[in-house]
Amino acid sequence: MSQFLVKDGVKNQIRKGEKLVTTHCCYCGMQCGMHIRVNEKTNKVVGVEPRYDWVLTRGKMCPKGVTAYQTIDHPDRIKRPLIKKNGKFIESSWEEALDLIQSKFLGLQNQYGKDSIGVYGGVSMTNEKCYLVGKYARVGLGTRYIDYNGRYCMSSAAGGFNKTLGMDRGSTLPWTELEHTDCFFMAGSNTAECHPTSIQWFWKAKDKGAKLIVADPRETATARVADVHLDLLPGTDSALANGIMHLLIEHDYVDHGYIASRCNNYAELKEMTAKFTPAYTSEITGVSEEKLIKAAHIFGQSPRSVVMFARGAEQQTKGVDNVSLYTSMALLRGQIGKFASGVATFTGQGNGQGGREHGQKADALPGYRKIANPKDREYIAKVWGIEEKEMPQEGVSAYEMFHLMEAKKIRALHVICSNPVVSSPNINYVQKALESLDFLVVNDFFLSETAELADVVLPAVTWAEDEGTTTNIEGRVIRIRKVVEPLGESKPDWEIMQLIAERMGKGEFFPYKEPREIFDELRIASKGGKADYYGITYEKIDDQEGVFWPVPEENHLGTPYVFTERFATEDGKANLAVCDWKEPGEVTNSNYPLWLTTGRVVFHYLSGNQTRRVGFLMEKCPEPFVEIHPELAGEYGIADGERVKLSTPRGVMELPAKITKAIRKDTLFVPYHWGKEMSANQLTSPALDPFSRMPEFKVCAVKLEKLSNRR
Amino acid sequence: MNKIMYLEFERCIGCRACQAACRECGDHDAKERNYVDYIDFTESRQTFPMICMQCKDPACARVCPANAIQITEEGVVLSAMEEKCIGCRNCTFGCPFGIPKFDFEKNKMYKCDMCYDRTREGISPMCASVCPSDAIRFIDFDEMQELRRRRVQMNLIEGKKPMEGNKWEYVPEFFGVYSDS
Amino acid sequence: MERLERSFYSKTSMYSFFVILGLLLSMMVATDRFIHMDMALIGYAIASIIFAIGLTIRMSFWFYRTATNRVAKRSLKNLFTKERLIRNVRSIAITFVDNILLQKFIFKRGLYRGIQHLMISWGCLISFAITFGLTFGWMRFDLIDSETYQIVVFNIPTLKMAAHGVFAEIVYNGLNLGAIMVLIGVSMALARRLTNYDVKVTQRFEFDMLPLFILLAVTGTGLILTVLYTFFDGWMHHYMSLIHQVTVVIMLIYFPFGKLFHVPIRPLAAAVPMNYQEVAKIDSRNCKSCGEAYSNDDQIADVQAILGAQEFDLKLNDGTLLSDYCPRCRRRMRALKVMNMEAPQGDPYGPVNTNNGIHLPGFGQKRSESFYVSTEKKQAKEENNEPVSR
Repeated sequence: MSQFLVKDGVKNQIRKGEKLVTTHCCYCGMQCGMHIRVNEKTNKVVGVEPRYDWVLTRGKMCPKGVTAYQTIDHPDRIKRPLIKKNGKFIESSWEEALDLIQSKFLGLQNQYGKDSIGVYGGVSMTNEKCYLVGKYARVGLGTRYIDYNGRYCMSSAAGGFNKTLGMDRGSTLPWTELEHTDCFFMAGSNTAECHPTSIQWFWKAKDKGAKLIVADPRETATARVADVHLDLLPGTDSALANGIMHLLIEHDYVDHGYIASRCNNYAELKEMTAKFTPAYTSEITGVSEEKLIKAAHIFGQSPRSVVMFARGAEQQTKGVDNVSLYTSMALLRGQIGKFASGVATFTGQGNGQGGREHGQKADALPGYRKIANPKDREYIAKVWGIEEKEMPQEGVSAYEMFHLMEAKKIRALHVICSNPVVSSPNINYVQKALESLDFLVVNDFFLSETAELADVVLPAVTWAEDEGTTTNIEGRVIRIRKVVEPLGESKPDWEIMQLIAERMGKGEFFPYKEPREIFDELRIASKGGKADYYGITYEKIDDQEGVFWPVPEENHLGTPYVFTERFATEDGKANLAVCDWKEPGEVTNSNYPLWLTTGRVVFHYLSGNQTRRVGFLMEKCPEPFVEIHPELAGEYGIADGERVKLSTPRGVMELPAKITKAIRKDTLFVPYHWGKEMSANQLTSPALDPFSRMPEFKVCAVKLEKLSNRR
Repeated sequence: MNKIMYLEFERCIGCRACQAACRECGDHDAKERNYVDYIDFTESRQTFPMICMQCKDPACARVCPANAIQITEEGVVLSAMEEKCIGCRNCTFGCPFGIPKFDFEKNKMYKCDMCYDRTREGISPMCASVCPSDAIRFIDFDEMQELRRRRVQMNLIEGKKPMEGNKWEYVPEFFGVYSDS
Repeated sequence: MERLERSFYSKTSMYSFFVILGLLLSMMVATDRFIHMDMALIGYAIASIIFAIGLTIRMSFWFYRTATNRVAKRSLKNLFTKERLIRNVRSIAITFVDNILLQKFIFKRGLYRGIQHLMISWGCLISFAITFGLTFGWMRFDLIDSETYQIVVFNIPTLKMAAHGVFAEIVYNGLNLGAIMVLIGVSMALARRLTNYDVKVTQRFEFDMLPLFILLAVTGTGLILTVLYTFFDGWMHHYMSLIHQVTVVIMLIYFPFGKLFHVPIRPLAAAVPMNYQEVAKIDSRNCKSCGEAYSNDDQIADVQAILGAQEFDLKLNDGTLLSDYCPRCRRRMRALKVMNMEAPQGDPYGPVNTNNGIHLPGFGQKRSESFYVSTEKKQAKEENNEPVSR
């Protein structure tokens, strides 16, 4: 198979002595297509070339994508295993590191039981690896305690979709169709900064006259050009959605035929939304009635509309409610399962979609199966070649694992592809919990803040040094190619898990020589599940420009639209959400009078472990800042660029102020990509959604202070 | 076939991918030559990209005492020739659009050259290739004329008829006539 | 003066004439009325005179350029201003040492390039000095006795030296030394120009490669000549010296018209600290809009004068010129103009409305507002509700 895929008539620049390898970006869920330039003589990565013919992104890239290749051959890369001796990391051999892990893991398990080891996964890696993390935890280590950083990212969307539609595929339609949409309703998504390459589709639609409604406490780049900007108070999405639905019903924009044949709970929904009059909604959300009405009319009259939401709506204690309510808005209009219309969430992490389908979650098994379901347990046990009773039970969610560490129930942890001391809420507590562990192993290719706490750091490879598949924002399974050989002694995560499993005496269950074999096992494991990958092969992905799951048969071409005929619920009908508005987990009071919300900037990705090491990105955005409305800044006497102090009951931080009218007067915004004293997550609230166990990163109460007599 | 760079400022989302991409071009020495600025961050998040217009009669070349700024046969205004440039920076002050940059260490001026190594081959320059919002585009001259025409018509619909004298102020500028015959 | 000028075809021809006259005079003085003229070098002498004419023509044309003229005039004026003596001396000294002698800025562009350029430039300068010195007879060696040579400069006897002493060897081999330096430098440059992708982007054969080949031919044939002399007893020497002479003549004639012309331009670099920015990166003139320092008064005056003289009308409505603003403000002004956002609009307390109605956020097609505004239920069925603009 050729390493460089390009359609006829597409011209790319190929410099003499270089070759191009076709792959996708390592960062967000857009998984933008790109070619990586490799010097043929030295076999080193030298740059990037746009992939003009990739169907979703057309060669477009954000600054992170353009510079992504710089992390491959980066001087900070860990090239050999590191073992901490007397508080210092010493380079060692794989043999030595594995010996240590074996003795510690086996020792702890003998003494405290199998569940004394936890596994903390991540979804910025391929499906193969994500799948194997689940198997590694349950078969290799035999522990029930496994969860992953997607708990901070996608679990509310997953919960909401499962509740209303019965299946969680991030987007019900292929995004290449978005340009034909008439109206976008975007909630809690700073699309322009978090998924920049998706903007081309929204702008194309706008070129054709589409309307844009954006709900966000900040006037983001998308809100700036929106027809209606619903500048809601953080944490009031459920009231907003109920309010809009109230208006939809009042003005009879409801698709009654669709509701009658395909949805449950309409009467209950009508009853619930009755009290959300514009006046009442406006009182809760802080959005003027006029705007609500205008938004409802635009949304209600648009023949084709897409409701989209992201972490702003999901990272709340009522994230699942918000998702189900927004989804219900689309259902009321009868939009799901049709051309250029539907509902979609913006997947944050590279493989946030695929990673949550294949058993990295505490309660899930491959193919979106449930670990609590005896049938599912039996099937997967058979695929894995173990007894059903050997399969551990359901564990706990990511943040709750830290409670168990503090309580000494989890005594050792293996972190794979994640940096929880930056990305978790209330990180001061998380750091303490990790420090209380007896033994911490971290796989990473840079020494992240979490790796710094580890006893053993195992050198993993970057995305370009291993092959595999990921599932992008649309639910399209795509292929990541190996560009260069691993640097130094680093190994791909699947190989590391395999080596440890061997040491744990479970080598027979991990006989893989290459990722393709893992994928073949994943295909069988997911067969018959909701996320059915059975019919996907690497070759099919290349031929068809990615394959949309579910693909139940070998000769099946994939499913770009889902829910065209029926929903994936038991009765085939969608469940409209009936949820009242609830207050956020933490509300403002006289001590903490302002709202704090966190988010991303375009230059950094998640915990910043990769992007904080790239020159261009650090030049453009070296440190966190707090966005303050000039009126609020005036009250506190704060000048632009002045350092201020933010505090919540959980932590304190100092950072420079950026004054802008493009934010609500009662809300502060801080990006979260930094660690330690620069981390916004010292402040954030760990209140969890009762259903998805997602922490409430997006809403907490905060105190703002001017640092007097200091510059 | 004429290809030109076309900018639409209000599409810009301020991601600066164009700047990161500019560093990737041949002979750009890992330094960006284009700009993305805020109009006024205190007021709004509106940003705008700016690249060289590749003037037909460039002021920068006219104010250069060393005659160091050359124009290629395709019409691309190149950076000052390194051997001629005496480092006076007249070009940065002469340019009506504030484009040329100056490297004090290496004593040389550098400016947008439309990724000469790419456009010479008919391949879109890096900034236009990666721009996620299509604020920077590399399109046919005819397509640009079509876009401009549409903008003028739109203004007529809006009832804000431009006068003959200021008609072109109402449509986005096009940058850098380029032919690769 | 004017009458003198009128008696020539043009100013340039006048300058050329005086340059030739000066050269011949210097030759006459140096060779004691042509007695000590080395007739073997007559071909070189003629070529050198053509070189001088070419250089004069190019230099005068260069100084006629509006921009160059303005900068040169200011430099001259400043040079003879007493108050600026210290600044002038310092500027010229620093430029000479850093820029010409050591070529520091080229080393900043890369060690390889630094060495390469230093080799070529100093090799050439040494060779040129010796060649011109000998061909014009400015310098000659007189045999005093069988053991001693004397260097005669402009017919004035100076140093005496042992015929086979170390110093004498260095002097005789000056040309060879220069040639070897140029050979190293040119080979480095050729290697770079053939393999480095980045230089190839804007490189032109006739401009960038040709001079390297010419230099290579000159140094190559010159060195072969030496080799033939020393090791082959002068075998084929006659032909080789003819070939060498041809290459040198080509180079001398080419010099003023190709890339090598950058050498006589370089001293103008002293004009920057002399006239404009005395210390690098320190500005003294403030932008009319944002108030930040971005240049200095003299430079902006020059730029405005140069542009004005060439009919660039960059005046704004309020009478200021675009060069009165810093580059950043100039870019911003342009964007505001294009977006028609120069005047404040909308609610002063909210974010600035960048949708000004002239430039629609809808970029392209506009959908009729009436499609959405009506609060009453449309009588048309949902299915028929296609957008008006479609």
